[in-house]
Amino acid sequence: MADDELVYAGIRDLGARFRKRELSPVELTEALLARIARLDPSLHAFVTVTSDRARADAKAAEAALLRGDARPLLGIPMGYKDIYDTRGIRTTAGSALWADRVAEADSTCVARLQAAGCVMLGKLITHEFAWGIQSPGHRFEPARNPWHRDHIPGGSSSGSGTALAAGMCVGALGTDTGGSIRGPASFSGIVGLKPTYGRCSRRGVATLSWTLDHTGPMARSAEDCAHLLQALAGHDPLDPASSREPVGDYVGALDRPLRGLRIGVPRDFFFDGADPEVTRAFDAAMTTYRGLGAEVRDVTIPSIWDSPSFMVIMASEAFAYHERDVRERPELYGDLLRERVLSGALYTGAEYVQAMRLRERLRNEMLDVLRSVDVLATPTSPKPAPTFAAMWDVSLGFPRSNTPPFNLSGLPALALPCGFASAGLPLSLQLAGRPFDEATVLRAGHAYQQATDWHRRRPPV
Amino acid sequence: MNEITLDEVRRRAAVAGITLREDRVEMVRRLLNDALAPLRRMDPNAMRTMEPAATFDARGGDDGRR
Repeated sequence: MADDELVYAGIRDLGARFRKRELSPVELTEALLARIARLDPSLHAFVTVTSDRARADAKAAEAALLRGDARPLLGIPMGYKDIYDTRGIRTTAGSALWADRVAEADSTCVARLQAAGCVMLGKLITHEFAWGIQSPGHRFEPARNPWHRDHIPGGSSSGSGTALAAGMCVGALGTDTGGSIRGPASFSGIVGLKPTYGRCSRRGVATLSWTLDHTGPMARSAEDCAHLLQALAGHDPLDPASSREPVGDYVGALDRPLRGLRIGVPRDFFFDGADPEVTRAFDAAMTTYRGLGAEVRDVTIPSIWDSPSFMVIMASEAFAYHERDVRERPELYGDLLRERVLSGALYTGAEYVQAMRLRERLRNEMLDVLRSVDVLATPTSPKPAPTFAAMWDVSLGFPRSNTPPFNLSGLPALALPCGFASAGLPLSLQLAGRPFDEATVLRAGHAYQQATDWHRRRPPV
Repeated sequence: MNEITLDEVRRRAAVAGITLREDRVEMVRRLLNDALAPLRRMDPNAMRTMEPAATFDARGGDDGRR
């Protein structure tokens, strides 16, 4: 297998090669560690590369395979966003405040993937505490977009997006409070799933905003996300928001026929200010879905324009979490994050309550719409990845995003590649579904990826 | 309710007991202005939703907690 083919292979293909003894997890891990050593000095996806741990995990997986162990994630090399605790390995949250922090226990998600046989390659850079991109002079370098290094890879799961796009890991963990899994998926040309609120545990993951934070998988295909979700999903008594809803058969549902699937397109809000190239790619994706037998129709969510009130909730909760540290040690916060966190102190209690009431109305309307359609489809981002220069220029404000409505509603949402802008930057489609119906969302994403090859394009690294 | 002004941001910061860098006040003003725009449009007395509120769901945990 050629090097590029090997490092971009999917979970099912790798597992089959492992079991046929055509490839060993040790060989794959060594190939990825060599690629990380070659590419990461300029891409900055990894904060910590755990080479010794990776080699030990790979050898253990190889031994298990020889014993006939057929678990689907056995020997699959992963990167973990650096806000997931890992026992004995530092977890920085991309922040000077936590630069040398070492957790005593694995987060539940890391523990579940490691128990499923995954290989830990290392910890992936995150925007500072999942909200503030690192500016020049910050303790940590920001990850670069492999498609164009002057552009951001998306955030806050920036290292996860970069590492997957550059073929430096097979799967990754991200977190998503306002789009931090789906944004990097969109800008880096990979796939990210924000599951239903409560579907995957947040125990051992740094908090940004309790009522909006989600954990979830990132990969290069919907199929690989399904494999990862299968291991991640399930009740965790150590996360008070964790659901007891039974876990679906995400992998088994992938190949069920798409014919008759009803796709709703909310034209308001999600296309506001969208680049024509984004709209064209989205419309082409809907044409593909019609060709696959889906029914596509416009739908209306009357309160969708209320979704910017999301920031009242996120900033207020972020300030509640960070108040002591940001008051006592403000110098340890990056320039961009500090003022964002402090802004959360400026909302009144009444404003927080009103924002929560708007949220509930919006959530109810989205659930109503999902009685008449099976999934909602939108562009993930109205524009392709912005430049670092634009992100660092505070006069330009916070970029508009199509992802927060699904954090407000807690609905599962998948981002997947659907084309490229003329500048060579990836474009992305967002599919959202009913609560705990990740199986349908992933099935719709998988069917699209069986009919298109956008997710198989490689950046020029 | 009108747009949030720079003076309104400074007044809110003083009430909260925090100091914003002067060159970031405009950034914070924009954040607040965009976030509060939907609240300025709403009629709080006409809305039926009440959140956050304690609710109890028969499908909750074994001990009745959510």
